[in-house]
Amino acid sequence: MIGDFIDGPLWYLSLTVFLLGVVWRLVAILRVGVAPDFSTARHGGAGGALRTLFTRSLPRRPVFTRGKVQLIAGYMFHLGLFALLFLAQPHVEFISERITGFGWVTLPHWGFILAAEVAFAGLLLLLLYRLMNPVTRLISDTGDYTASLLVFLVMLSGCLALAQAYEGLRLLHLLLAELLLIYFPFSTLMHAFTFAISRGYTGAAMARKGVNA
Amino acid sequence: MSDRIEQARAELRSQIDAKVSSYFSSCIHCGLCAEACHFHVETGDPRYTPIYKLEPMRKLWRSEHTLSGRFSKLLGRSTELSEQDFADWEELVYDSCNLCGRCSMVCPVGIDIAYMLRKQREAFNLSGYTPEGMRNALQRTLTTGSPMGVTLKTLQATLAHVEKASGLTIPIDRQGADFMALFSSMEVVNFPEYIASVARIFDTAGVSWTISSEAFEATNAGIQIGSREGAKEIVSRAVNAAEKLGVNYLISPECGHAYTAIRWEGPNLIGRRYRFEVIHILELLDQLMREGRIRFNGKSDTPMTLHDPCQIVRRGGVIKAPRNLLHQVASGFVETTDHGSMNWCCGGGGGVSANERAEALRLKVFGRKKKQFEESGVDTVVTACANCRIVLEEGLEHYEMDTEVIGLTELVAEYLEQGAD
Amino acid sequence: MYRPVSGTAILRLLQLLIVLALVVAGNLSAQTQAEGIQLPNPGTDLWREVRQRAQPATPGPTSPMRQAPGIDLWSEVQQTNPVPAGNTQVKSVDSGMLINPVGDQWRRFRMEMLVPYGGYVLGGALLLTLAFYLIRGRVPIHAGPSDKRLLRYTVYERMIHWFIAAIFLFLALTGLTMLFGRSLLIPLLGPEAFSLLASASKEGHNLFGPLFLLALALIFFRFVRRNIYQRGDLAWLLRGGGVIGSKHVPSNFFNMGEKSMFWMLVLVGGVTALSGIILVFPILGLGRELMALSHVAHGVTAMAMMVVIVGHIYIGSIGMEGALEGMATGYCDLNWAREHHDWWAEQCEQNGEVVSVEEAAGTEGFAQGAPKHAPLGETGK
Repeated sequence: MIGDFIDGPLWYLSLTVFLLGVVWRLVAILRVGVAPDFSTARHGGAGGALRTLFTRSLPRRPVFTRGKVQLIAGYMFHLGLFALLFLAQPHVEFISERITGFGWVTLPHWGFILAAEVAFAGLLLLLLYRLMNPVTRLISDTGDYTASLLVFLVMLSGCLALAQAYEGLRLLHLLLAELLLIYFPFSTLMHAFTFAISRGYTGAAMARKGVNA
Repeated sequence: MSDRIEQARAELRSQIDAKVSSYFSSCIHCGLCAEACHFHVETGDPRYTPIYKLEPMRKLWRSEHTLSGRFSKLLGRSTELSEQDFADWEELVYDSCNLCGRCSMVCPVGIDIAYMLRKQREAFNLSGYTPEGMRNALQRTLTTGSPMGVTLKTLQATLAHVEKASGLTIPIDRQGADFMALFSSMEVVNFPEYIASVARIFDTAGVSWTISSEAFEATNAGIQIGSREGAKEIVSRAVNAAEKLGVNYLISPECGHAYTAIRWEGPNLIGRRYRFEVIHILELLDQLMREGRIRFNGKSDTPMTLHDPCQIVRRGGVIKAPRNLLHQVASGFVETTDHGSMNWCCGGGGGVSANERAEALRLKVFGRKKKQFEESGVDTVVTACANCRIVLEEGLEHYEMDTEVIGLTELVAEYLEQGAD
Repeated sequence: MYRPVSGTAILRLLQLLIVLALVVAGNLSAQTQAEGIQLPNPGTDLWREVRQRAQPATPGPTSPMRQAPGIDLWSEVQQTNPVPAGNTQVKSVDSGMLINPVGDQWRRFRMEMLVPYGGYVLGGALLLTLAFYLIRGRVPIHAGPSDKRLLRYTVYERMIHWFIAAIFLFLALTGLTMLFGRSLLIPLLGPEAFSLLASASKEGHNLFGPLFLLALALIFFRFVRRNIYQRGDLAWLLRGGGVIGSKHVPSNFFNMGEKSMFWMLVLVGGVTALSGIILVFPILGLGRELMALSHVAHGVTAMAMMVVIVGHIYIGSIGMEGALEGMATGYCDLNWAREHHDWWAEQCEQNGEVVSVEEAAGTEGFAQGAPKHAPLGETGK
C-alpha cells in the first residue's frame, strides 16, 4: 500500500513540487532584475555570457594547482552523476515510461557500474573534504550537509537495488529520490540551474569591460 | 536597534538584485575562492575566505529571499542582521579585501564576489562600521577635493615645477581641447615625474589636451568605502568639468580604482551616459604608438616584469595596452607566473592602503607578491598605478628586497623619440 | 550562523559506535555458537547423496556397493581420479565439466570452517578488546593535555583516511551480512527480508569493492614513506610497544605497530581487494578453481583485516587519550606526541613547528607551506 503511494501520488507530487519550485525560484531571482549599465561597453555582453557559461567548467591553472582535490573530486562526482542519472538503462526506462514517452542511448552495464564508482568516490571525497578543510568547514551550513547526505542516500539506495529483483529496494530508491526532488528547489542544489544565470551575469559584465571571465 | 543599523539593513536589502540572488543561490560553499585570495593563501586563516566576507549580506538574503530562511524566521529560529554582525565583519569587509576580484575569476559557478562586496560596503558605510582612515580620506576628498588634501595651489606648484624643468607649457582650462587629463593626488605629491612624462609625450605626439582647475582629482574614496553619494559627488566634479570644457575624451591616470570609478561606475553613479569618452592613459599611449604619433629611441635591456593593477587590468579590461608598450621599450620583459587578469593584488587596493590599522596584515599578505617577484627572477617591476607603486615599495622595503618599481608612463617617456626634427 | 562539526562531537559519536559494536559483537559471537536453525538447503542433500554413492569400495567382497552400477559414473562425476573433461559444443570456461567437486570443497570450507571459526575469531577479537579496555582502561596523556599542538595530518591525509575508513566499514558490514546472515539474520528478519538485505548487501559490496582498491592506492602512495621500517622499530616491538611494562617506548612518526598495520593493510588488503575483483568479474575467463580459491583468500584475509582494524579503531579512539585528535583535526597534542612519537615530536620542536591551540584551530594544515599565524587578532581594532 505504501508502495502504491510511493510509486503513484508521491511521485507526481514530488515531480510537481520540483518543477514548480524550480520555476518559482528562477522567476524570483530574475524578476528582481539588474540596474541598467550606462557605462560604454567594450564588447557586447551576450558573447561573454555564453563564453563564461562554458569556460567556467574548466579551472584556471593557478586555482587548479591549489584546489586539485576539490576540482578532481568535483569532476568525478558531477560527471559520474550525470552518466548515472541520464544514461543508466533503468533511469532511461523510467523516464521514458513516466515522462517523455521515448528513450535514448544507454550505457552498457559496465559503463553504468563505472559511472557509479566514479560518482561515489567523488561524492565521498567532496563530503570528507568539506568536513576536513577548515575553509569549507567554516562556510558550510546545515543545508550543504543535508544536500550531500540526501544525494548520497539516493545513490546508495540505487546501487543496493542494482539487482533489480526486489520491489522493496526499488521503492526505497524511488522514495529517497522523491524526497530529493521535493528538497531540491529549496536548497543549494538549485545551483544545478542557477549556475547558468550566475556565469551568464558575470561573463556579460566582464565582457563589457573587455575581460574574459 | 539604532537608526543607522536600520538604514544599513534597508540599504543592503536594496542592494540585492537578480545577480546577488543568483549568486547566493548558486554558491555551494566549495571554498575554491579561498585558494584565489592572497589574504587566505598567505595567512591560512579560513575567515579570509572571500565568500565568507559576504556573510552579512547572505544572512539578509537568506532570511528574506529563501523559503527556509523565511520559515526559520517565522519559527523565531533565525535572527535579524544585527549591529553585532556589522561590528564582527568590519575587518573582513575592509581590512582583508582589496576588491581585486581574483576570487570572481575562479568561482566554478561564476559568482562575482567582488561585485557583491562592493555592494555590501554601501551598507557598512551607513552602519558606521568603517575604518577611520578610509572615512577620513572620503571626508577630505569631499571638503578639499583630494583624499590627501591636495588643493589647486599644490597642483599649480607641482605644475610650475614640471614646466620649469621641462620647458613645456601645461595647458589649464583650455576650452575645446581634445583631451582632459585627471591625476591622482599620489601622483601630484609623490610622483610628479608622471605628470612631466605625460606632458612630454603629449607634446611630442601633438595631443590637444588640458587640465581643469575645477576638477583634477581622479581618485574616488567613495567607491572604496562604499558611499554612493560621496562617489557620485566626486565623479560629478570631473564629469561637469569635462563637459564644461567640451572635451571629447577624459584621461584616467595610471591610478587603478580611479579608472573603475570614472570609467565603469561613474555613469551609473550619475545615472546617465557621459557626453565624452573615458580613456585610460595606457590605452591612449598604446593608441598613439599604433598611430605612429610616438616613436621610441632604443629600449631598456634591464630585465623587468609587469605588475598588473587589478582595477585597470582584471576589473578594467586594459590588458594588452601595457604589454604592447612594454615590448616597445624593454627588451628584457618577462611575465610573472600569474599575470594579466590572474595577477595577485599588491594588497593595497580597495582602500586597504588608506586603512592604517590593516597595515600589519597588508604587509603579511605581501608575501605573495614577494614570492611572485622572486619566481620571475628579475629586479625591476613596472606598474601603472600610483597606489600599487607606493604599496609595492613599502612591501619590498619591509621584506628588504632590492627590487625597483617604476611607472610605465615614465618608462615610455624615457625612451620617447623627441619631435621629428 | 554556523555550526561547524566539532572534533569532540566526532569523538563522542565514535565512542558510542564502538560501545554499540562491542555490545552487538557480544551477541553475535553468542549466536554464532548457537547456530542450530535448520534451513532448507537442497544443495547439501544432493551432495551428501553424491558423496555416499561415490564412496570408494569399502573392504569386503560382500559390499553391496560393489554391485552398484552407477559407481563408475559417480566416480567420474566426482572426478576422484583425474579424468579428461568431456566434450561439448558449448565453448566457455569449464563447459566440458559436468560437476566440479572443488565446488563442494569450497562450499564445505565456507559453511563448516569460515562461518563458525570466522565468527569465533571476530567475536573473540571484540571480546578481547573489551577485556583489554576493562583491565587497562584508557591510556592517558601522562603529562596531561597541553595547550600546544603539532600538525600531524594534512587535510588531504585525513580525507583519504576517512575515505578508506568509510569504505572499509561499509564493505565489512555488507560482507558480514552475506557471510553470517544465514545463521544470524534469518532468525531475526525471516528469509524474505533477509533475501532483500542480502541482495542489497551483495550489490553494495560489489560496487564499493573497487573503491577500496582506489582508496588503498591513495593511502599507499601518501603514507608509504613514513611507514618504511627504520632504526628503533625493532626495539619498540621487543618492548611490546609499551603495552608490556609501563615505560614509554620511543618511536618515530609511526611506530612499529602502526607500520606493521600499514603493511598488513597494503598486502593483506591488497589480496582481499584483488581476490574480490576476481569474484566480481567472473568474465575474466578464469576457472572455477580460481574463483573458489579467490573466495577463500577473500574471506580469510578480510577476516584478518577486520581483526586488526578492530584493534586500530580501539586504540585510535577510546583506547588512548589524544589519539583521535590528530586524525580528526589534523593537530595532535604536543604532550601526546612526546609520549607516543617522541623522536618525531623532538624533531618538530627543533624545527619550531609547535603551534598554540588557537593557531591550530584557526589555520588549515593544507600542505602549502602557508604560515600558521592568524593575523586577524594582531591587527586588532
